[in-house]
Amino acid sequence: MNYRLVFMPVASLAILAGPAYSKVYLSVEQAQAILFPGATMKPAFQTLTRDQAKAIEKRSGVDVRSNNVKIWRASTGGYFIADEVVGKHEFIPFALALDEQGNVKGVEVLEYREAYGGQIRDPQWRKQFVGKKPGERLRLGKDIQNVSGATLSCRHITDGVTRLLATYEVLFGHSRG
Amino acid sequence: MDAYRLGVSRTAWAVVSAVALWMLTPVPACADEPLFGYTYTTDLLPKGKFEVEQWSTTRFTKAHGSFWLQEGRSEVEYGLTDRLQVSLYANYAFTHANHNAVDGTTTPPETFAGPLFNPNAAFDGKKYVGTSLEAIYRLTSPYEHPLGVALYFEPTIGQGLREYESKLILQKNFRDDRLVLGFNATVAQERRWLEGDSTAGSGSAGSVSHWDHETDINLSGGATYRFARSWSAGLEFMNEREFSSFAFWNSDDATNSAYDVGPVVHYGGRHFFVTVTALKQLPWASDFTKPPSNVLLGGRTYADDFERYRARVRFGWYW
Repeated sequence: MNYRLVFMPVASLAILAGPAYSKVYLSVEQAQAILFPGATMKPAFQTLTRDQAKAIEKRSGVDVRSNNVKIWRASTGGYFIADEVVGKHEFIPFALALDEQGNVKGVEVLEYREAYGGQIRDPQWRKQFVGKKPGERLRLGKDIQNVSGATLSCRHITDGVTRLLATYEVLFGHSRG
Repeated sequence: MDAYRLGVSRTAWAVVSAVALWMLTPVPACADEPLFGYTYTTDLLPKGKFEVEQWSTTRFTKAHGSFWLQEGRSEVEYGLTDRLQVSLYANYAFTHANHNAVDGTTTPPETFAGPLFNPNAAFDGKKYVGTSLEAIYRLTSPYEHPLGVALYFEPTIGQGLREYESKLILQKNFRDDRLVLGFNATVAQERRWLEGDSTAGSGSAGSVSHWDHETDINLSGGATYRFARSWSAGLEFMNEREFSSFAFWNSDDATNSAYDVGPVVHYGGRHFFVTVTALKQLPWASDFTKPPSNVLLGGRTYADDFERYRARVRFGWYW
């Protein structure tokens, strides 16, 4: 039989499969400057224990994929966390800024490697996170409105912020005010 | 067949070349990708987005002799709304069968049923099977609700073929949507024009040309896990049951049942995806016809719509 009909498309696509599309919007330093203007940032990286990771998962309902928390303390008060969530094909690096009480100051998308769903960079959408408190469980469609056509990215950023709010609570002992 | 092969090869390479050029152009894309070869999920195109998809299914190995069936589907999808996706398909097939049945005769695949054929000679055929319209409406999304649910409708019209397929699609995601479970329950009711066989007994159903009625009930599902960036792999299964009428609730009309299982691999790129599934029929088949129609061998059915192996490649481009 004509096996070329079966395998030719696969071989062709394997040849065409180049590196994934990537768009870097902000470096960590640039995001820090936006979220904490004028502040100096002091690394305060943490490694979660197994118990801490379990506690975060229990409070947030979101899996902890990495025990390394890239967190900085701002000289003007508050914390900056660089993290990433799962996208359709690639990870989505993002940054979360928390004020002295652990409430959300802002969210920045550092890099978006997907060719579709980039509406999560919309400032109006990201603004919904401002003021959310440590330990708060954010639900897409209720606490955070979805963007049509970018549901997966919206869901994962929402879950990522929820996880980091639980992380802050577990690491620093602050609870919802 | 050689002339045909040459023609398809040129056409296919022309398409691949055009796509290669097109892919070098940075255009925004969306992602509605099949994680499985046979099982649909509830992920749909967003409103206003297009996708072009090519299906290639190879079915091969019967009880004896030689057999292969190559089925192709060329599809254009469009997101009418964020919840409603419509598609247009062109379906075509090519086949070779030679002394492939359990009793050693030649039996063409069901797609080529209709015209009379010589059961003692090789059969080669090609045909445009028909044109399909498809609509999928998503009721709930697995990213916003505990379970993704969608309904699927697909009428097909071809020469000597009228088919209506409907499907319930379920999707459940776990672990940051990296683990995806999919399940489909499908009812496909078809009418196929069969030419009368003068050698059949006078007055028998097969002695005069008629529209044959059949229903396929398929239960398919699978699990796939994204194990690396852009790559997913998993397992897919299918149970296919055939009935000799539209009354699929009537167990007296059941004719065959077969189970298939196999691996599935998916790659999602910047503007395209490819999904490959290979299924093998398990030795759990049943022949319900009365009297038995001699289609079972080694626990597998080799009725005209069943074979030992089927492999499917789906690749698409979206923008």
